[in-house]
Amino acid sequence: MPARLAPLAALLCATATAHAASVDVVVTDPAGNALADAVVMLEPVGARLPVKPMAGAQIAQHDRHFSPAVSVVTVGTAVLFPNQDTVRHHVYSFSPAKTFQIKLYAGVPHTPIVFDKPGIAVLGCNIHDSMIAWVVVTDTPLWARSAAGGRAHVADVPPGSYEMRVWHASLAEAAPPQQLALTVAAGDVDQRVRLGPGGLVR
Amino acid sequence: MTAGARRWRGTLATRITVVFLVLLLAVQLVSFSSLRYSLSRHAHNELPTRLDEGEQLLHTLLAHKAQTVVALAQGLTSDFGFYSTLLDDHGATIVSALDNLALRVKASKVAYLDLGLAVRQTSRSARPAEVAAIVAQLKSPLTDAADANAIVLVGGQPCQAVLVQVKAPRPVGWMLMVFPLDAQLMTDMKRLSGLDLTLLSRAGVHAPWTVAMTRVDEASASDLADHGWTPSTLDEPMVAVDVHGDELGVRALPLGADRRVDPGVLALVSLSIGDAVRLPWDLQAALVAITLVAIAVFAAGSLVTARRVTTPLRGLADAAERLGGGDYATPMRGLGRGDEIGALSQSFERMRTSIAENQTQILRLAYWDSLTGLPNRARFREAVGDAIRDAALAAPGSGTAVSVAVLMLDLNRFKYVNDVLGYSVGDEVLVAMAERLGQVLARAGDVVARLSGDEFGILLCHADAQQAQAVALRIEQSLDLPLVLGEHKVDMGAGIGIACWPAHADDDDTLLVRAEMAMYAAKRRSNGPVTYDPAIDATSAQTLTLMSELRQAIDRNELRLYLQPKLALEDRRVVGAEALVRWQHPQRGLVPPSQFIPFAEQTGFIRHLTMWVFEEAARHWQALAEDGLQLRLSVNLSTRDLLDLDLPHKFAQLLARHDVPAGAFCLEITESAIMDDPQRALATLDALSAMGFKLSIDDFGTGYSSLAYLKRLPVDELKIDQSFVLHMQTDRDDATIVRSTIDLAHNLGITVVAEGVETAETWNLLRDLKCDQAQGFHMGRPMPVGDFAAWSTSWGMRRTAGDSDGLHVLH
Repeated sequence: MPARLAPLAALLCATATAHAASVDVVVTDPAGNALADAVVMLEPVGARLPVKPMAGAQIAQHDRHFSPAVSVVTVGTAVLFPNQDTVRHHVYSFSPAKTFQIKLYAGVPHTPIVFDKPGIAVLGCNIHDSMIAWVVVTDTPLWARSAAGGRAHVADVPPGSYEMRVWHASLAEAAPPQQLALTVAAGDVDQRVRLGPGGLVR
Repeated sequence: MTAGARRWRGTLATRITVVFLVLLLAVQLVSFSSLRYSLSRHAHNELPTRLDEGEQLLHTLLAHKAQTVVALAQGLTSDFGFYSTLLDDHGATIVSALDNLALRVKASKVAYLDLGLAVRQTSRSARPAEVAAIVAQLKSPLTDAADANAIVLVGGQPCQAVLVQVKAPRPVGWMLMVFPLDAQLMTDMKRLSGLDLTLLSRAGVHAPWTVAMTRVDEASASDLADHGWTPSTLDEPMVAVDVHGDELGVRALPLGADRRVDPGVLALVSLSIGDAVRLPWDLQAALVAITLVAIAVFAAGSLVTARRVTTPLRGLADAAERLGGGDYATPMRGLGRGDEIGALSQSFERMRTSIAENQTQILRLAYWDSLTGLPNRARFREAVGDAIRDAALAAPGSGTAVSVAVLMLDLNRFKYVNDVLGYSVGDEVLVAMAERLGQVLARAGDVVARLSGDEFGILLCHADAQQAQAVALRIEQSLDLPLVLGEHKVDMGAGIGIACWPAHADDDDTLLVRAEMAMYAAKRRSNGPVTYDPAIDATSAQTLTLMSELRQAIDRNELRLYLQPKLALEDRRVVGAEALVRWQHPQRGLVPPSQFIPFAEQTGFIRHLTMWVFEEAARHWQALAEDGLQLRLSVNLSTRDLLDLDLPHKFAQLLARHDVPAGAFCLEITESAIMDDPQRALATLDALSAMGFKLSIDDFGTGYSSLAYLKRLPVDELKIDQSFVLHMQTDRDDATIVRSTIDLAHNLGITVVAEGVETAETWNLLRDLKCDQAQGFHMGRPMPVGDFAAWSTSWGMRRTAGDSDGLHVLH
């Protein structure tokens, strides 16, 4: 997918010389069940990795659902909300990360929504209460989304100390991503974390 | 209906009715009481159930209210405009939006909380601290996901607080809405369950309960608040609380956040136990109505039933009354009834017919003579009375005088028939006599009755004395034919007396007595029927006067001695004379002996007359003897003289006083005088005969003396009754009797005297029959004793002057 290839390429460029490693994180709920669509983000302690807005990002409305339900975009990414249903939708967000609304529309709106602050935006449709989508706006290029088995694979992570943030939709409303310190040395990291009421634990 | 009958009916019918009604009332009372008791017990048992239902209802009402509010709030908070305003974070706008929401949902306070229940913004009516306190009360029931509602205290007042999540689209915060509990809740409770709701509140665990809201009155609510509610009482199905006079059944429900440990609000669901267990008014009214209707129906029914009993009973009582009054003819009613009354009626009917038969029998015995089948004296007396009454009633209208005649008939010699032929023949004589009288009296309305023994009475309605006399003669004629009884042939005579109303008597009894007097007179005279005359009545005023005057007649020297000569038929010589008494009354003149002798006999005064005659005869005998007349004087003795045992002694004294021999007197006695008491009469006669008196049977042939008596009597002379002598010339039977009597007497050595010689033919005939002496008008009527000597002299001259033919010359 082109949207993912760009940061990956950037990362590869940055760490090619420093023996970059890959970080695999398995995310479970407090009961230990693997969680899909969990977002794992790595932020280097005391430094900031440059990120670029992603191109061609879109969240479609299809069959009265947001698709995908959980999206991860880098800061400054413009997202299109193409309406593939025959009915109209009124997409909005009151989240502090991005407050916007696209009033009743059909087809693809001319103007995309630019997510310019890191955070988590909860999207809804004013017409259809059941339509909910999350947009995780990240300002680090090192991020991944867990697959069905709960495993998220972050490649080309340079060694160093990181703040690992994990977010999942099941976390309490308006709660920030849970974080955990992670040190990446030479060699790949395979970490298992559990989301819990008291925070993220290994 | 008599007063007694009415009273009787009243008591019996009333008694039956009262008994029925009392029983009914007792049953009604018992059923009412048991119904009341069971309903009351049922209501008692139902009380906790009702309170349960009340509790459920309260919860339902509160939940319903909450749901309604929640639904409304959810709708409002889901509004895009509303939550876009909320999230717009513009304070003043949010406050106005909350005020607007409060108005819309009629909440007293509204606040917006964040997801952590921290107060973000409140309506103007709420203060953040107040809201924080409410949120603190709500925390316990609140779960993260669900909307919550609870009763909370706000400023001491119980309110319903509701928390609704605000989503945009995921939960972003909470909306708190507070609603005061209003009177509507209690009104609904009352309306839906009939229960009263009281809400108590308190500031803390140790604070006293105060009344927040109530439907009961203030005093009761105060009592309820002061009851002292403890956690244990909260578990009880029902708590009984006394509130000034009434008793309330109460279920206490803790409301509010911390219900069990520290309930801030207590809901008391209550009802009045008295009201609950009391029979509903409509049921009581229905029971009273049923009782009244039942009483009316029972009263009517029992009255009708009682009447069905008492009416026939009254009929029976009336019937018994009629029976008592002598009405045996009216049949009973109600004989057809099949019940006990019918049986009673039938018994009454049998009694009635039985009494009627008995009555008929008694009447027959009382009024009818069983031998002859004729009415008896009692019946006859009634018939006479009835006839007199009828005649008296008919008299004024008829114009003609109506008269009622009574004939009384007594058979002659009946005693003789009984003695000689036996009583059975005597009875046959009476029966034949009755038949014969019936044949004579063909007229309807006339009554023949047997009064006693041989005495018959005949009632002739509408008949005067003359007609009665004719009937009496017909009866006498009918008796001329002898009665033929089997082999016997009986010749019966009778004395008949007649009396008429109103000529002789004013009433029935007097009429009968006077007819009887007339009858005795007829028997004495033996000369046909006698009609009553005051002269024959010893009890009549005329007779009574006569008798009192007669007593004085001796002293006043009004009596005169008469003599009637007795002549020897053989030589026409004067051989004797019958001494007779005459009364020279100063006013009446010469009173005939028939007018005072019978009564003198009845009263006993005859003895004084006998003594007077004897005394006079004795006195004059001496004087006549001095004139040369050697006569034997006959003196009549009555029955009473014969019964006087002292008579011979008196006669002896008298003879001595006048110095006359007994042989100079002949004492004449009638047969009937002897027959009254033959024993005493014989004794007297024997004594007199022994003294030397000659004895003579007077009126021989009319009495009933048997020849056996005649043989025993010391009799010297028989006097043949003039009834035989008068007609002996024309009547052969009389001639035969006279001849036979003469022969009989001569055969017994007795002298025979014939009375009633009125013609020379008779004289001659008697002389031919060898009769000894004769007495009669032909020779000489009774004459004053002073004239006798002169008459005797002239008779002697005529006797010597010619033969028997000279007698004709005398006339």
